[in-house]
Amino acid sequence: MSDQMMLTSLRAPSPKQVWAPVRRALLLAAPGVALLCFWQFASGRLIRETYVSKPTEIAWRLFDLFYTGEIWSSLRVTGEELVLSYAIGVMLGLLLGYALGRSPRLASIFEPYVMAFYGIPKIALAPLFVIWFGIGIWSKVMLAGTMVFFLVFYNVFAGVRSVDRDVVNLALVLGANERQLGRQIYLPAAAPFLLLGMRMAIPYAVIGVIVGEFTSSTAGLGLFINYASSTYDPAGVFAGIFILLAFVMGMNALANRLERKLLKWQPTCQRIAAEPN
Amino acid sequence: MTEAASASVLRFSAIQQSFASPTGDAPNVVISDVGFEVKRGKFVSVIGPSGCGKSTLIQMAAGLLKPSVGMVFHHDREVTSVNRTIGFVPQQAQLLPWKTMIENIEFPLLLRGMTLSERRAKAMEAIKRVDLAGFESHYPYQLSGGMQKRASIARMLVYKPDTILMDEPFGALDAQTRMVMQHDLQTMLATEGASVLFVTHDITEAVLLSDSVVVLSRRPARVIAEIPIDLPRPRDMFEPYATPGFAEAYDRVWSVFRSELNIRRAA
Repeated sequence: MSDQMMLTSLRAPSPKQVWAPVRRALLLAAPGVALLCFWQFASGRLIRETYVSKPTEIAWRLFDLFYTGEIWSSLRVTGEELVLSYAIGVMLGLLLGYALGRSPRLASIFEPYVMAFYGIPKIALAPLFVIWFGIGIWSKVMLAGTMVFFLVFYNVFAGVRSVDRDVVNLALVLGANERQLGRQIYLPAAAPFLLLGMRMAIPYAVIGVIVGEFTSSTAGLGLFINYASSTYDPAGVFAGIFILLAFVMGMNALANRLERKLLKWQPTCQRIAAEPN
Repeated sequence: MTEAASASVLRFSAIQQSFASPTGDAPNVVISDVGFEVKRGKFVSVIGPSGCGKSTLIQMAAGLLKPSVGMVFHHDREVTSVNRTIGFVPQQAQLLPWKTMIENIEFPLLLRGMTLSERRAKAMEAIKRVDLAGFESHYPYQLSGGMQKRASIARMLVYKPDTILMDEPFGALDAQTRMVMQHDLQTMLATEGASVLFVTHDITEAVLLSDSVVVLSRRPARVIAEIPIDLPRPRDMFEPYATPGFAEAYDRVWSVFRSELNIRRAA
C-alpha cells in the first residue's frame, strides 16, 4: 500500500505545482531587482556617482559596448581562456583523481605532494606564470586551469575512495572484471562528486582568468576592467563585471543541466550540490 | 538415492578464522572449527549468536575471504578466488542507485557480455518471478525496502546459479514483509532446484525454510549441532505452528541454541 502511495506522488502535478515555477522565479528575482532599484536611487544622492556609477548608466554602456562591437575581441579572448582552462582542468582532475582514487599505492606516494601544491596560493604565482607561459592566453589558461584542476581532483579522489567495499565485492561476485568495475561502479559512484567539483570550479576559473589578465595581458575582459578602473570609469568596470556574472550564470546553468541528466537517479533532496541560481 | 543427488555442492572443511586484533595483541579467533556441507538441491541454514562469524562463512564461499586455516569447496573445487558461479543475496539489497530496477537486474548479464535484447528478456522473466512487474524503470530510491529486496533476489535468479548464498536477507524487513518474502522464496526455489546456504539468527525462519539447520556456538565458533528438518513442503510461513511437526523441530533447534545464549532466568 505505502509503495503505491509513494509512487503516485511522483506523477501528475496539481494546479498549485504548475504555478510554483513562476512564483519561484519571481521570488528569485525580487532581491536582485530591489538591489538595482536601491543602487539607482542611492547613486548621486547617497554616494557620488563617480564612485559607483548607476544601473541605467551601466546598461547603456553594455548596450554601447555590444552595439559598437568594441567588447567582442575581449570577450572572445576571455571566453577562449575560460573554456580551455576549464576543460583542461576538469579533464586532468578527473583522470588523476580517478587514478589515485583507484590505487592506494599511488595515492600514498602522490597525495602529500598534491596536497602541498594545493596549499600554494596560485594567485601569488600569476607573475611567474606570465614568465613561464608568455603574455598570451596560455599563462591565463594555466593559472585558471590549475585552480580548476585541484577542485575537481580532490572531489573525484574523495568520490572514488568513498565507494563502499561491499558494493565492489558484490560486483565482483556478480562477475565484474577490473575494467567493468571502473565503468560500472567507480565512475558512476564518483559522478556526484565530479559534478560538485565542476560546479565549485566555475567561479575559480573566472577568478583565475581575470587575475591572469590583470597581471599582464594584451586582450581580454580582465584587461578591459583593469583599464576602466585605472581611468576612473566605474560604469566600464561594472559593465565588465556584469558580463563576467553572465558567464558564471551561463556556465552554472549548463552544470545544472548536466547534473539533472547525469544524476537523475538521486532523490533531489539528497543531491550534494544545491542549486545556487 | 542416486549418487549425484547426494553430491556435496558446497563444503566447509575444518575452517578456522582469526582477524588481527586492532590493539596488536594476540589475533582474535572468530571461528575455531567449522565443517559442514550443503548437498545438491538442499537448503541449509546456519544459525548462531551474533558475532559468531556466520557472515564470514558466506564471504568465504563467495571467495571474498580466504580462511586462515581450512578449505571451502564448491563442486569439489577449492574456492581460491572470487567465486562467480554462485548467486549472492547480501544483507542489504545493495542495488546500484544509478541504475533503474531492470538495469540492476540485468547487471550480472551485462557483465557477462550479453546483448541488450537478451538481457531485457531474461530480466523481465526474473521480474515477473519476484512479482515486480510495472516498476522496471524506477530507481532504487523510489522502491520500498521489500521491493528492493525482491529486486536483489531477481538479480541473483537472472543468471540461474545452481548455488545460492543468502546472508540474513530478510533481517532488515518488517515482520509482515518478511513472511511474504519467505513464502515467495520457498515457491521460487521449489522450481529452481538450487542448493542454498542461508545465514540467519531467526530460528523460526531457519526451521521453516531449511532441510537442515547448522547451529554454531558463541565465538570462537564451532558446529554444535546439525539438525535435519523433515517437515513436508510447502510449509506455511504465515502460521508456522499450524504445520504438524513444526513445534518439535523448533524445539530441537532451540534446545541446542539456548545453551549458547546468556539468558538470565526470570526470578
